[in-house]
Amino acid sequence: MKITTKILSTAVFTVLSLSVNASDDAHHSNQLYQENCASCHGADHGGYIAPALNADTLKGRSPTALRSIIMTGSFDTLMPPFYGKLSDDDIRGLVKHLQSTPKQPNPAWTLEDMKKSVQVYVQDESTLPSKPTYEIDSMDNIIGVAARGKYGRGAGSKAVFINSSTHKEIGEVPTGTAAHIIEFNPTNPRWAYVKTDTAEIFKIDLYSMKAVRSIKTGMNGPGIGISRDGKYIMAGSFVPHNAVILNADTLEPLKTFELEGVDPDGKMVSSDSGMIIGTPFADIFAIALENAGQVWVVDLTEGFPVTKITDVGRHLHDAFLTHGGQKLMIASYDDSIVAAIDLKERKIIKKLPAGCVPHVGGGSAVKVDGRTLGFGTNFGDCDKMVVSVWDLDKMELVKQIPVSGGTESPAAHANAPYVAVDIISKDKRARTIQLIDKKSLEVAKTLDVGGHAYFPEYSADGKFLYVSAGYNGDEVVVYDSNTFEKVASIGMESPAGIFSRGRVKYMTRGLAPDEMKGAK
Amino acid sequence: MKQLVLLMATFLIAGNSYGANLFAGQSKAEAMCSQCHGLKKPSVDSPFPRIFERDFTYLQTALQQYRDKTRKSDIMNAVTGSLSDDDIDNIAAYYDNIHPSK
Repeated sequence: MKITTKILSTAVFTVLSLSVNASDDAHHSNQLYQENCASCHGADHGGYIAPALNADTLKGRSPTALRSIIMTGSFDTLMPPFYGKLSDDDIRGLVKHLQSTPKQPNPAWTLEDMKKSVQVYVQDESTLPSKPTYEIDSMDNIIGVAARGKYGRGAGSKAVFINSSTHKEIGEVPTGTAAHIIEFNPTNPRWAYVKTDTAEIFKIDLYSMKAVRSIKTGMNGPGIGISRDGKYIMAGSFVPHNAVILNADTLEPLKTFELEGVDPDGKMVSSDSGMIIGTPFADIFAIALENAGQVWVVDLTEGFPVTKITDVGRHLHDAFLTHGGQKLMIASYDDSIVAAIDLKERKIIKKLPAGCVPHVGGGSAVKVDGRTLGFGTNFGDCDKMVVSVWDLDKMELVKQIPVSGGTESPAAHANAPYVAVDIISKDKRARTIQLIDKKSLEVAKTLDVGGHAYFPEYSADGKFLYVSAGYNGDEVVVYDSNTFEKVASIGMESPAGIFSRGRVKYMTRGLAPDEMKGAK
Repeated sequence: MKQLVLLMATFLIAGNSYGANLFAGQSKAEAMCSQCHGLKKPSVDSPFPRIFERDFTYLQTALQQYRDKTRKSDIMNAVTGSLSDDDIDNIAAYYDNIHPSK
């Protein structure tokens, strides 16, 4: 009897300690996942800029193959090698953890959570310098680059600022995780806002090149916009499905919005936040509900009332403005259209054909021979590799220009002869940028930048074209906009989006600053 | 002036006596080395050694040893296994020629 008890208690003890070990392992693996993988693959295992990693998506995949991808990274993608960073046991544990963990439910991230997350780095902003601490002719010459860092987090992740007339770095601000979007305050040139892949927003003082405050607005999602008076910021998340309006000065959250609605197929869905944009046309924000296919117009008045425009498209993403900011051109992935929306009437003007999986990036618009032409890029994962050109006055398709691959972001400038598009197809073409002649609407040149070249951007004066050589290039390359001679290279880890402060002057890249005058 | 002459002499040596091709070296480095060691330098967040600070002879010897498995490293033995002598010379010349500003 005694023996039985002893055996039993040993057995119980063993089972207990085994289960403790198992949950310890799961806890450890989850911690590793959150610290090394989550900023790209999603804290909820649902994917973000990289694929979803969960029991469903990894079903049937060979653990050995997964382990080897984690060790060596994946060439031609952002995935870095974790050999030497994580132990072999940790990598094996992670693979097991990923193949047994389901996608997590959408976590709550409320106004209160956001409030608590505000960090103040500079308590008294009057102690900051009253003018730039570096030589610069105009603050519009500042170009900000979202440097991801090889691992999407860590010391390599920062916003790097460059003087686009000297091509010299003037400052950098560490962002903890990969910087994704940089916005500039349209009324006060000293403030910029950087959004990271883990949805923190940093308010940055460009005069002293440091962060003064930050807030965590969600788990991930690139959406951020700033109002024309520079007083409000709106940010939206993929996880959880909400958006928030912040005081641009204090980053204090003022109101959250649950993103849900009836999609074009009649289904009630909870939705990721797509693009968010402030416009010189009015005191409003426009926000795209990706999955609900709706665009909401939020008035910046008491209570922030919302006007909902429904049935815009299936899986909305990014957009650009035209006609003094009254018209919004928004890309819809799944039905391959770009919808034109009138922000005054708050209704759809027309849906225009847009190649294949349109991703307009920041969009571009140019005035040529009396016409205002809009340029739209496409991921183009079908045979149709084109850049769409629309007449934005008549709202009709002018031409679909064949290019050598999928494209992600067009750049244009009133003073530059070419519209630049980045070829992103994952082979040798990824090294290149193609240049479309504004007048002939044909590809005139192909630039071999190297690395994974993307996110072209002109300097505010249009004299130089900046291009990120991306994750295999580790540099930003600068070209003369007319001769395409390489004039400079600025080294940094895995540079991605490039944002000129000139954008606040010309609203959409390619338009002249006077386009905006009619709006105010 | 003396320094300039020295510098030019270095270039001449680099160009001639190695018989290596920097462009071929770059393309091999892009395909085989840069994922960990960077095209110029490794990530500040990575544990990988900075190879651009090594000279041609060091890199050539190290790569040959890794390839011939007289120097043991599972990952380096695997990566270098298929390299020819010319590949090794080209890669070594490429990194020898890299001088990142910071």
